[in-house]
Amino acid sequence: MDIEQKQAEIIDQLVKRASTCKPEALGPLIIEATSHPSLFAFSEILALPTVAQLQGTTDSVYLDVLRLFAHGTWGDYKCNASRIPQLSPDQILKLKQLTVLTLAESNKVLPYDTLMVELDVTNVRQLEDFLINECMYAGIVRGKLDQLKRCFEVPFAAGRDLRPGQLGNMLDTLSNWLNTSENLLISIQDKIKWADSMSEMDKKHRKEAEEGVEEVKKSLSMKRE
Amino acid sequence: MAPSSSSGLTFKLHPLVMLNISDHFTRVKTQLSPPAASCATGNGSSNADATFLQNPRVYGCVIGLQRGRTVEIFNSFELLLDPTTDTLDRSFLEKKQELYKKVFPDFYVLGWYSTGSDATESDMHIHKALMDINESPVYVLLNPAINHAQKDLPVTIYESEFHVIDGVPQSIFVHTSYTIETVEAERISVDHVAHLKPSDGGSAATQLAAHLTGIHSAIKMLNSRIRVLYQYIVAMQKGDIPCDNALFRQVSSLLRSLPAAESEKFHENFLMEYNDKLLMSYLAMITNCTSNMNEVVDKFNTAYDKHSRRGGGRNVFM
Repeated sequence: MDIEQKQAEIIDQLVKRASTCKPEALGPLIIEATSHPSLFAFSEILALPTVAQLQGTTDSVYLDVLRLFAHGTWGDYKCNASRIPQLSPDQILKLKQLTVLTLAESNKVLPYDTLMVELDVTNVRQLEDFLINECMYAGIVRGKLDQLKRCFEVPFAAGRDLRPGQLGNMLDTLSNWLNTSENLLISIQDKIKWADSMSEMDKKHRKEAEEGVEEVKKSLSMKRE
Repeated sequence: MAPSSSSGLTFKLHPLVMLNISDHFTRVKTQLSPPAASCATGNGSSNADATFLQNPRVYGCVIGLQRGRTVEIFNSFELLLDPTTDTLDRSFLEKKQELYKKVFPDFYVLGWYSTGSDATESDMHIHKALMDINESPVYVLLNPAINHAQKDLPVTIYESEFHVIDGVPQSIFVHTSYTIETVEAERISVDHVAHLKPSDGGSAATQLAAHLTGIHSAIKMLNSRIRVLYQYIVAMQKGDIPCDNALFRQVSSLLRSLPAAESEKFHENFLMEYNDKLLMSYLAMITNCTSNMNEVVDKFNTAYDKHSRRGGGRNVFM
């Protein structure tokens, strides 16, 4: 999909820079990555061994920031605001976009109220502007705004980085989908056989009726003779 | 008489040309056959005509474009063969060529076509006659005999080449291979023609079966793709293949859009349409039944009318 293609080059560049530069420079690199307007995928950077080494050091806050951006939401940030350094406006915006993506994971129809609470936005106009400008024009979600029912329908949302447990869920969903389609195939085949057998029966019935008519005609003409 | 060609040209044939040729042949054949029916009562001269009428040879011209080594045959039109001189009607060809030039300025005469099972010697004369318009014309031959066992198209394209045969340089026909090229409009019409068959031969059941078979094959393809994706991700989970996060993200966003058709609005609309359709078929059935009933009553009345008239109309059924 197009978002992935756009991100692919940026991810490659950042990965190269991160693997070649010194650990101290990783901090600013992470800040840059998290504020980049078209980058929503951070698990490649997280997977780099140099980044993982930041764990025990003073710069581990940057690792937390990266983890927050990969898996967390705006709500998480507010709860842990003490541990994580102040985010720049770009990063705040990106975190809110990622929050929308996470919300879209669970339901396809997001009521405005939930969105307003999650994103800390007070009025509907601001919410709608945010959704339209930041989310839909960026291409990370595609959906319809329903003002009468005050909800946002999301048929498509870009994927976020996977938490370790989500892979199992994905596999379950895929296997369910596979089973459903197989069942559907079998029931279609049954329907085709049913249609064929019904037409056979109908033809037989028709033939029998015609034969009966012929016999009666013959017997009538014989009676006359 | 038909070794393969070595000229290195690639030929592209449009379905329109084949449809035109077969349509021309069918028209001529059906127009000629009524006289055959009346002649079949035993007219002597009709015997020679009978073999001719079985498969009249039709002729025409093909036009198209030649870009470098690719020859693309787009269209065709009919020509009359002058039986006395055995050449194609030249003035008509030129008139038609001018008309086509106005509409398609890039096309020019690429060759000619005919129907039959194999290329004959007399075709060579016609071929040579066309050589002054195009120095190497093509000859498209359509075999109108229907052969159900044959899997590919009964159309062959011949080019002429100078070969030395028995010490004498002669031009003979050589086979060339061709590919079929379609424009979107052609694809739609060919699709339409291909689907006409079932509705001729079948009742509602076969149409339903055909429709369901189409859906079945579409879902089968979807199924195989989902299975590939599933096995790929299982392999990634086991660690056989290095994890591709971009792929995970795309798959998760794809799975998030499932179930695609679950909301109550969909259910409402679906049930409403289903009920409407059931109601319509029910209504049609009722109308059918009442008309049948009516017929039965009428038949009953006419059958037993004669008896009851003598009885003064007492025993009429209704």
